Amino acid sequence: MSDARRSPYVESTIIMTTVRVIAPFVMTYGLFVMFHGAKSPGGGFQGGAIVGALVLMLAFAFGADPTREWVNQRVVVGLLVVGVATFVGIGLATMALRGSFLEYAVIAGAKSSKYAIELIELGIGAIVSGVITSLFFLIDAGFDVEADAADAGGETPEETPGEPSSGEVGS
Amino acid sequence: MTAVVDLLLTRYNYVAVVLLLGIGVYMIGASENLVKKVIGMNVFQTGIFLFFMTSAFVTGGHVPIIKEGVERYVSPLPHVLILTAIVVGVSLTAVALALIVRIYAEYGTLQEDVLREIQTDE
Amino acid sequence: MAPTPVEAGLLVVILGSALATAVLRDVLGSIIAFSAYSLGVAMLWVVLRAPDVGLTEAAVGAGVMTILLLLTIAKTVRPSEDRVLASFDPKTLVLVAAFVLALGATVPALPAVGSPDAPVVSSEVSQYYLDHAYKDTGVENVVTAVLAAYRGFDTLGEAVVVFTAGVAVVAVLKREVTA
Repeated sequence: MSDARRSPYVESTIIMTTVRVIAPFVMTYGLFVMFHGAKSPGGGFQGGAIVGALVLMLAFAFGADPTREWVNQRVVVGLLVVGVATFVGIGLATMALRGSFLEYAVIAGAKSSKYAIELIELGIGAIVSGVITSLFFLIDAGFDVEADAADAGGETPEETPGEPSSGEVGS
Repeated sequence: MTAVVDLLLTRYNYVAVVLLLGIGVYMIGASENLVKKVIGMNVFQTGIFLFFMTSAFVTGGHVPIIKEGVERYVSPLPHVLILTAIVVGVSLTAVALALIVRIYAEYGTLQEDVLREIQTDE
Repeated sequence: MAPTPVEAGLLVVILGSALATAVLRDVLGSIIAFSAYSLGVAMLWVVLRAPDVGLTEAAVGAGVMTILLLLTIAKTVRPSEDRVLASFDPKTLVLVAAFVLALGATVPALPAVGSPDAPVVSSEVSQYYLDHAYKDTGVENVVTAVLAAYRGFDTLGEAVVVFTAGVAVVAVLKREVTA
């Protein structure tokens, strides 16, 4: 996507080097917070926010467009779907086991509710990190007036095949 | 006078809540720039968070992670509510900012008075 | 209970930076002040014994929110200003003063900060969570237990709201996240 507006990105060796050094640690910390929510402060919302902030940090240092190419957008959307599906799936699974929605105790095995909660936290982490990342890329892509004008003219523009919102635009 | 001092000494967080809400409302009402209005909305939101978190706090309370030999914990329920509210808040802010980007693309300005003029002209 | 020096200092920083976001005319300055404000708030959460909330606030408020706001002014326009302070709006200020006075009148009715008899702290619900969380779920962190187990359905709703916000931004900007 080429926007008419120039990107505000300014290359800085100091920021790039710093981010390159601390990025693996931030990622590890985010995952630790996500996985260790049962025993220490942490959980899906917190870890997801840290991992999402990491992607924004990378975009800050290396520019949004290279980061967009580096972070596969299909993976981001996949994360969102997997997160919601995990959450709902566990809820429905407990119902299939003749419990209530999200009644973890019906799952067989020692400490089953603890592991189910951990899994749900991972799902929440996937949703939060995915949403933060995609919100950033979406706002960065901005709004393209010409593409919208072409869209409202009735013809689907070639650059966005299968656009979901074309139905409500009308003419 | 002593009543005010007493209030500041015992209910300081709630006084801060009221002031933050006031600053938030002022920013929403008085700022001409839409981005500043969004920031004001966030300040207002954080004021409400502070109210909740203060209501959960108890002097000498421990972080709500169960440990042997700890008698008194702070209440975990407001923490849960605010935790989710923060993440929902940033999502809503992003929607507001997306609307701002869209408004700018359509009208070429983010100043409220200019926008109002354009709308009456139309 | 008087505030500890740390609490008092943090409150001063928070109120000062909130005031700075309001009175600075330049939007960029306002955003930077807001970032400092969020960081102060995150530290206050830790002082109030809520590290979970502090973690999220630091990552979201000081990190994500600042970058999204900066991105927006980079995508749109940042009016160049000669004056440092925003122009004063007396009409709104009168309204806000009334609002603050009305809210402030309720403050004496609230329990003292940190009082063990405060309704939230001494309520049956809080005590139930603290007593039963570990037995019921095997999770030491009560916040996580309440979030994912006792209020699991609520959290599912919150997660879907966050998800919907992503969909809403796609609708507003009419752009798909494409590979």
